[in-house]
Amino acid sequence: MIDRTKARLLALAGIIIFVSTIAVLLARQFNMGPERPAPAFRTFGPGSAPVQIYEYTDFACPACRYAAVKVDEMIKIYGPGLRVSFKHYPLVNIHPWSFHAAAYADCAGEQGKFKEYSELLFENQEKWGTAKVKPGEFEAFAVRLKLDWPKMAACADSPEVLNRLKLDIAEGDMKGVDATPTFFVNGKRAVGAGQLVEQARKFDNILRAAKP
Amino acid sequence: MNEKTRDILGLLARLALGGLFIYSGLVKALSPAEEFGFAIEGYKVLNAELSLWAAYAVPWLELYAGLLLAAGVFTRCNALFIGAALLGFEALLGQAWLRGLPITSCGCFGSGGGNSIGREFAQNLVFLALAWVSWKYGRAWSADRAVETP
Repeated sequence: MIDRTKARLLALAGIIIFVSTIAVLLARQFNMGPERPAPAFRTFGPGSAPVQIYEYTDFACPACRYAAVKVDEMIKIYGPGLRVSFKHYPLVNIHPWSFHAAAYADCAGEQGKFKEYSELLFENQEKWGTAKVKPGEFEAFAVRLKLDWPKMAACADSPEVLNRLKLDIAEGDMKGVDATPTFFVNGKRAVGAGQLVEQARKFDNILRAAKP
Repeated sequence: MNEKTRDILGLLARLALGGLFIYSGLVKALSPAEEFGFAIEGYKVLNAELSLWAAYAVPWLELYAGLLLAAGVFTRCNALFIGAALLGFEALLGQAWLRGLPITSCGCFGSGGGNSIGREFAQNLVFLALAWVSWKYGRAWSADRAVETP
């Protein structure tokens, strides 16, 4: 039989384990973990910007296409006050080529044209998004942007790129992302361009408060 | 060394090592397990699937052990557990060092960079010493002692 002292210690250990587990799970849900930096080619704006946005996006998602336009407008309006980092969250169960598109966009980024390639992917998403066989658009966009396609194709199959994408997805899963686009604006979640625009109303105050 | 000094040393060692394990566990538990899984895979001891399972479990074990040690709950058992874990980490680092594996991130404190293997190995020896001091003198001002008091 367990003596009273051991029973008290066991109870205390149980309480510590229970409370810490709940605290960590809540911290995950409220996005309090460290933010993995996105690669430089997927990041726009200075590191010291008072408004930091992380966007989980899927190139085949129409709402992400719409949001991309809004984000571009915000970058133009707020300039150095804003930093936007893109994270891939391809919804592969409904968009079979999203993961490939994300890999090719990253590889275009490594050749200095992430933004341009992303814009082509978004503009033409209905052409490649639901294709039955591997879409030729990925190569066609690369050729149009004068990118080195054989290098891009090899890059998209490389373990580094695949691991980077899987980590983005795992990070999104952990933060409870289940729809795209999902934004984290200074840690606060916004799902869809509407909620992002809603949060943008506070940007002026944040930028004013950040001024020395 | 008088008893008071030993007690203070034991408490400091417990808090330092416990705090370190809390931090290490927390940083990893708040990051995707896949990230730590890739780091474990780099040691080429476990395959990808087992590395991922280890990455799911280890952060929580570190967090619980750190909290219990800092609070002084089952102090000696926890100090022993942490000491054994550190020996395990040393074995992993040692074999990677001997095999000349290109470890870029040891995975010790999440993805936030890391020291060279040699430095991590030396650092763990210091932590092992702290585990020993916690095991030997760590029961002062502990929950163990508090519940024993009638």
